Amino acid sequence: MSADQQNRGDGKPVLQVKDLVTSFQVGTNRAVAVNGVTFDVYEGETLGIVGESGSGKSVTSLSILRLVPDPPGHIDGGQILFEGQDLLQLSYAQMRKVRGAKIAMIFQEPMSSLNPVMKIGAQVAETLQVHSKLSKSEARERAVEVLDAVGIPDARARLDHYPHQFSGGMRQRVMIAMALIAKPKILIADEPTTALDVTIQAQILELMKGLQDDRPETAIILITHDLAVVAETCDRVLVMYGGKVQEVAPIEQLFEDPRHPYTQGLLGSIPDPKHKGEPLPTIPGNVPHILELPVGACRFHSRCPIAEERCRTTEPALTSVGHEHSVRCHLVADGIDTFARMREHAAAPRTEEVR
Amino acid sequence: MGTYFARRMLLMIPTFIGITMLVFAITRFVPGGPIDQMMLKLQEASMESGTDIGGSTMEIPEASLAALKERFGLDLPMWQGYLHWLWDVVRLDLGTSFKFNEPVLDVIVNRFPISIYFGLIGFALAYVVCIPLGVLKAVRHGSKLDVTSSLLIFAGYSIPGWALGAVLLVFLGGQLELVPLGGFRPEGWADMDFWEKVRGQAYHTILPVLAYAAGSFATLTILMKNSLMENLGQDFVRTAFAKGLPERKVIFGHALRNSLIPICTGLGHAIGLIMAGSYLIEKVFNINGIGYLGYNSIVERDYAVVMGVLVINTVLILLGNILSDFLYVLVDPRIRFE
Repeated sequence: MSADQQNRGDGKPVLQVKDLVTSFQVGTNRAVAVNGVTFDVYEGETLGIVGESGSGKSVTSLSILRLVPDPPGHIDGGQILFEGQDLLQLSYAQMRKVRGAKIAMIFQEPMSSLNPVMKIGAQVAETLQVHSKLSKSEARERAVEVLDAVGIPDARARLDHYPHQFSGGMRQRVMIAMALIAKPKILIADEPTTALDVTIQAQILELMKGLQDDRPETAIILITHDLAVVAETCDRVLVMYGGKVQEVAPIEQLFEDPRHPYTQGLLGSIPDPKHKGEPLPTIPGNVPHILELPVGACRFHSRCPIAEERCRTTEPALTSVGHEHSVRCHLVADGIDTFARMREHAAAPRTEEVR
Repeated sequence: MGTYFARRMLLMIPTFIGITMLVFAITRFVPGGPIDQMMLKLQEASMESGTDIGGSTMEIPEASLAALKERFGLDLPMWQGYLHWLWDVVRLDLGTSFKFNEPVLDVIVNRFPISIYFGLIGFALAYVVCIPLGVLKAVRHGSKLDVTSSLLIFAGYSIPGWALGAVLLVFLGGQLELVPLGGFRPEGWADMDFWEKVRGQAYHTILPVLAYAAGSFATLTILMKNSLMENLGQDFVRTAFAKGLPERKVIFGHALRNSLIPICTGLGHAIGLIMAGSYLIEKVFNINGIGYLGYNSIVERDYAVVMGVLVINTVLILLGNILSDFLYVLVDPRIRFE
């Protein structure tokens, strides 16, 4: 959606997440899955949130709609500002009026996210019926329109079919129709294409890209671990690691000039046909267990090839390095060229193994 | 799908033959059959009257013995006897009870209403209590109500229904004299007015029904609870919440509908239980239903009745299984039998 990019600058934030903290009870400990996440979502943009499993991206998205299962999860603090209200302060009944109507969500597993014993038409129309006074037949008519719009062939006849009678891709289309029927301001898509095969992925992404053609003010938050998906669809990207935002940047900038060593590692591990036959670069180590994340230090230091002493002792702040581009890294904040450092490190003989 | 059910119906035939053949063979081998009993009776009669029949006490003339054997179908080899019996069953003739001297079918049919009365009430009570209780336990999982009701349920589960019945009978009926000691109808039924009848019948109903329900109580409640809890954790429940549905609608409209599937299909299996009564519970409460009849017919070696009750039970259970499959198709759109 690069064509819409001029919208972004003068667009106003439709959603502001400030210092969001969400934790989970793990045995006797509390694991902080999202630790002070702050970001804005602008009208009409597509914001990508990327990171490995366990980076806190899904919990962030669930927290926005307060869908984190409580217990064991709990939103401990922060603000989520939407239309002048803090969603975290709303009553249960008020929150219900936001869900589905103003902010809608689609999930990773189209197989299990639809009710297996309920007809598609009823499930799609239901969103509209709870949020408006439309009659059942009017809601069904709207359901036909939306199902048609998301590319379900012969939508009217399909209303009376059950989810198992649809393919995975078609089910995800149904999910999207269900999310769009009440014309939400924000659509949150949590790994919408992960469970689908590649050709179907492309179709669903195409469909999502097309959404903003009809309703340009709709904002999309796309949660994914797939950078190829981000490159194809997003205007801005938020890179998360260890429950914190590590880098925020407009899409071209992120791909052309990634500053955070983690972002560089992620981009470096995309297979490149030019380097066919060579080993694929990877980020050493694994995401630490959520209870073993470094505290009072850079969250990434244990896997960072160019970490310094201060990375182990003090936590870096999110620092602006350009227009809409912020990075959480001591080295970047000091103006050090992390990219050059990374290359030097890669070229240097491996004397010291990464801790 | 029609072919599937047609095949299931046809498969009932060999199953039926297998079961009845086995029991038929057992009745032939077990000592104390009708001839032995007849002889015992004659012996007792002769001892009472003090007269001897034909000199020695034990002798029965060969001719009468042969006549008796023929009457009970014992003169033929076993396989022939079974085929004769089967042919009679096909013509809906279950033979004659030697104890009641009535057609077995009449003996059984007369007792059906009694067993169905207790079976249906017990069954309905179990469902009416267990389903809401299971739902409540699932929604308030881990609460005081959940924990205490679980304790009660498992205590009940560890006691067989007839044993619970016997304990309650001794305590409430024998010691406190709150309820009658058994039987189906209160005494002096004919002279009672309507409300006395209702009251009297209710007193006679409470304990047997409790004993009936106790058996299915634990399994049904826990099945309901677990099934609902499992569904509440499913992705489609999260979807329903994300749509903005109120919790009540999410639970009853989405989760409950899915979790009723295993409960509904249990209805089919319950048919046999409802109609055939329970041997031990009817015995404990001295209720003259199918279960009691079956029990006594075994003790008294009234083989025609034993086989008759077996036929009814077998057919009911086999039909119940098919009914269960059919209910599956009705409640779960994903299931299609080919």
